[in-house]
Amino acid sequence: MAPPLDSSQPRLAAGCRWSGEGDKKMLLFPEGALRLEGTGQAILERCDGQRTFQQIVNELQILYSASSPEKVRDDVGNFLERLQEKRVVDF
Amino acid sequence: MPSNPLGLIAEVTHRCPLHCVYCSNPLQMAGSSSELTTAEWVSVLQQASRLGILHVHLTGGEPLARPDLVELVDAAHSAGLYTNLITSGIGLSENRLTALVKAGLEHVQLSFQDSRQSAADWIAGTRAHALKVDLAPMIRRSGVAFTINMVVHRQNLDHLGEMIALAESLQPDRLEIAHVQYYGWAFKNRGALLPTRDQVDASIRIIAAAQQRLSGRIHVEAVVPDYYARYPKACMGGWGRQLLIIDPAGKVLPCHAAGIIPGLQFDNVRNHPLQWIWRESDAFQKFRGELWMPEPCRSCDRRDKDFGGCRCQAFLVAGDAASTDPACSLAPTHSLIEAVVAGVNATPTSGENNVQVGEELNHFWSYRPQPGK
Repeated sequence: MAPPLDSSQPRLAAGCRWSGEGDKKMLLFPEGALRLEGTGQAILERCDGQRTFQQIVNELQILYSASSPEKVRDDVGNFLERLQEKRVVDF
Repeated sequence: MPSNPLGLIAEVTHRCPLHCVYCSNPLQMAGSSSELTTAEWVSVLQQASRLGILHVHLTGGEPLARPDLVELVDAAHSAGLYTNLITSGIGLSENRLTALVKAGLEHVQLSFQDSRQSAADWIAGTRAHALKVDLAPMIRRSGVAFTINMVVHRQNLDHLGEMIALAESLQPDRLEIAHVQYYGWAFKNRGALLPTRDQVDASIRIIAAAQQRLSGRIHVEAVVPDYYARYPKACMGGWGRQLLIIDPAGKVLPCHAAGIIPGLQFDNVRNHPLQWIWRESDAFQKFRGELWMPEPCRSCDRRDKDFGGCRCQAFLVAGDAASTDPACSLAPTHSLIEAVVAGVNATPTSGENNVQVGEELNHFWSYRPQPGK
């Protein structure tokens, strides 16, 4: 497996969806639920099948400008790769 | 007060066109006339959502045997629950699947008994395999998450690679390689189902290779069978801690097999609110937390990981539901499991298709019947 290509458009995989609002917001998938920390939520909320990986990285680099842009790119890529292995995200 | 449950396993019927020799239904099944009505299930699903439950797993028996299944999915989805159908596929047409998805179904888990038709039909006691293979593309196309569940045991583990290849060809999102758990009908047939140590060791290597090869396409999950594990399974995530089961007649259980434990009264959603049953009923409090634990659990640093294992297995194998699960290598009764394991390992399997299917083998198993009226 590899991180997404810049032009790919990550989206939630079949049978995965958000539930709840605010503090109670969770990602539901077939065998469980994820309550995500700030960064994770910020990434996944942008996986709408419209934004490209490059756009998501750009937005996260602005949001987390205290970290180096390379680190943000690596973190977002690794995070999405892990979730794709769990079949929660497709790209 | 206990934390809220996360999942509801809704056994909507014990009726099933299959007669699998490892069925988890109890030996005494609920008859069709005792089943909860549509309105009763709708109320239960709404209560479940208010109690904080996230997932409902519609199972049975075969849930498709209920003509009101679309209404039940609709009620679950409307209540905000994530809706999962655990099925043999028998009774699923394209129209019915479309209606279920439209009603809010989000995940289908289709079980397979084997990769080989004759062996699969032998285990299921009915001709179901070919139909399941035909259904898979339809489920794949429907847009729901799709999991294939391969049930493994002594009679099919020698061709696990072939079973994984079949699953791979059907393109699920997930593949669960599920060892038989020894309760109900499986306990009755345990001698013929429990794998050998060689089979278990080989399967671990085959599964690890499949996980690597299929990574990113199919998420492969498997668990070592507890008879061969060092520590017991965290049965149901702990008694009355995360999950509850409602049987077809409305009885609420902390574990599939809990009905076998003598002296426990299980309350019914027909007589009590679900919240009261979860929080306050005797059965759910009986083994909740750590106060009931004997040694070596009580002082064990794994007690908040496996919760003492399974109460039903402790009763079934060691005769005492309040004892450490005998599957645990630290349990004083572990020799009971070791003796069973030694017994099945005395006869190795042939390493290939170990059973010749034929008429004379019809008395090999105890097949589960249909429940009565």
